[in-house]
Amino acid sequence: MTRLGGPGAWILFGITALIMAFILTPLLIVVAMSTSDTYFASFPPEGFTLAWYGKALTDREFLSSLAFSALLALGATATALLMGVPAAFALVRGSFPGRSFIKGLLLSPLIFPALVTGLALLQLFSNMGWRDARVNLLIAHALVTSPYVIRTVMTSLMLVDVRLEEAARTLGASRLRTFRRIILPQIAPGVAAGSIFAFMVSFDNYPVSMWLADAEHNPVPLVIYRQIVTVFDPSVAAMSTIMIVLALAVVLVLERLVGLRRAMTL
Amino acid sequence: MGDAMNVAETPIAGPRGRLPRVALPASAMTGLLALPLLLFLLAFFFLPAFRLLIYSVLTQDAQGVVGRPWTFEHYDHLVTGGLYARVLWNTLRISLVTSVLAILLGYPVALVMVRSRPVVTRAITLIVIAPLIVSVVVRSYGWQLVLGNGPTGLMNWVLLSLGLIETPIAILYTETAVVIGSLHVFFPMMVLPLASALGKIEPSLEQAARTLGAPWWSVFRRVTLPLSLPGLVAGFTLVFSLTAGSYVTPVLLGGTNALMLGNLIEQQIFTVYDWPFGAAIATVLVVIVLAVNLLSMRLLEGRRLRSIGQ
Repeated sequence: MTRLGGPGAWILFGITALIMAFILTPLLIVVAMSTSDTYFASFPPEGFTLAWYGKALTDREFLSSLAFSALLALGATATALLMGVPAAFALVRGSFPGRSFIKGLLLSPLIFPALVTGLALLQLFSNMGWRDARVNLLIAHALVTSPYVIRTVMTSLMLVDVRLEEAARTLGASRLRTFRRIILPQIAPGVAAGSIFAFMVSFDNYPVSMWLADAEHNPVPLVIYRQIVTVFDPSVAAMSTIMIVLALAVVLVLERLVGLRRAMTL
Repeated sequence: MGDAMNVAETPIAGPRGRLPRVALPASAMTGLLALPLLLFLLAFFFLPAFRLLIYSVLTQDAQGVVGRPWTFEHYDHLVTGGLYARVLWNTLRISLVTSVLAILLGYPVALVMVRSRPVVTRAITLIVIAPLIVSVVVRSYGWQLVLGNGPTGLMNWVLLSLGLIETPIAILYTETAVVIGSLHVFFPMMVLPLASALGKIEPSLEQAARTLGAPWWSVFRRVTLPLSLPGLVAGFTLVFSLTAGSYVTPVLLGGTNALMLGNLIEQQIFTVYDWPFGAAIATVLVVIVLAVNLLSMRLLEGRRLRSIGQ
């Protein structure tokens, strides 16, 4: 790898530093505002108080939406894994006509505007008379997260040495046993990274959930959105900070697990 | 690599000596594992999307029942109705400006990311990627606080304190705010593919150009830039598609001044209850996104055919 050098490099470093500041500013201001001892979220923050966290953490709607979103994301990730891991296996190890076309189909929810995916599902569910928002959201979130699972698992599978599988099979291991004992241990970090990423995609999702949520079942982004538009005190900042801290924890886990760059290019 | 699974077909199928009963080759059998997900997508993605498309050419009567006659009036309505056409142009313009800015700002970041000491690379990667996992809603809220009109927005406060402006400037609830917010939200989608493309460039190529006396801008223009084009195109496509389909950012940062197609769809469905018109706008949005994706695939495909060794 050629390292950057010379006076041009310093200009590049300068620009990059500015852009890093651009990326961090809106997140840092939210954190700063969450402890401001003022009645409005306005700059500069004054004093220091944890009262807004008290308000956020006793807000029933916020708490129940956090729990609901976590459950929804877990369910969606599990469903996506259940269908996505075999599909990824098929795409990497199988050879059948139209494989790249099938791959395109399976990944297509990724490029399709999520907003429209949600709308199409709303139309389907209301025509079918499916009124249980929990089931509808689960289906929708599994659908949106499945491409992430497929991509990660595919990348991990491609790194698995086929000869190990061949050896296991010639030695008499069944397909399932080969998968469980030979392949799974090797792709485990990739699958874990994919699952965490899928979990966060579901946890953060707004444009699909907005169509399918009902009065009782609100994922957390919808609740925070409503707070932003109706409440102007720093409790919104406290809720947002909680979300940022959660995300940060996830980033660190991903970094530990597979390295961030890899997790992202998967 | 699929042939590897053909081991099962050979008579030495192991101590148990079970021969495959099915005539299909094992690698094709493996392909069947994609079936559950494929059927799931068929039921909950492809068919619903198709039904939405059908809705967009149907008529809704006074009772809200959607049915025949077939009509293209909703599309006509979108293109010719003054407000709607403006929203369509807004969407295209905001998406284009955002993706071009993402290229201009993303390039230096990707370059530094790939070509620095490991510590710097790690730090930049962390900062670029971390926001990706923070909800769009939270990030837009952050921008509301930064851009806030009036003296208590962070930006106005800083500019006023520095004496650079006399009166607060109003950026929030304009198209500019939406572009800034979208840029922030989708920036990683530009940097990551770019960095990946830049990382693949053979260092000896640039060294050779430099040894042969090419000045840095020439090396950049003739070697680095062309070789990073796949990443650039991929990043552009991602940022453009995602921006075009956004809902939260324009609502929270643009208000009524910078409505985008997503907001229009939401209005038509939840406020006006005009399903066919909502479906027509959704279809237009999908067509825009698909067109950009197909175009970029074509571009990359053509390049790949021309390049050697791939």
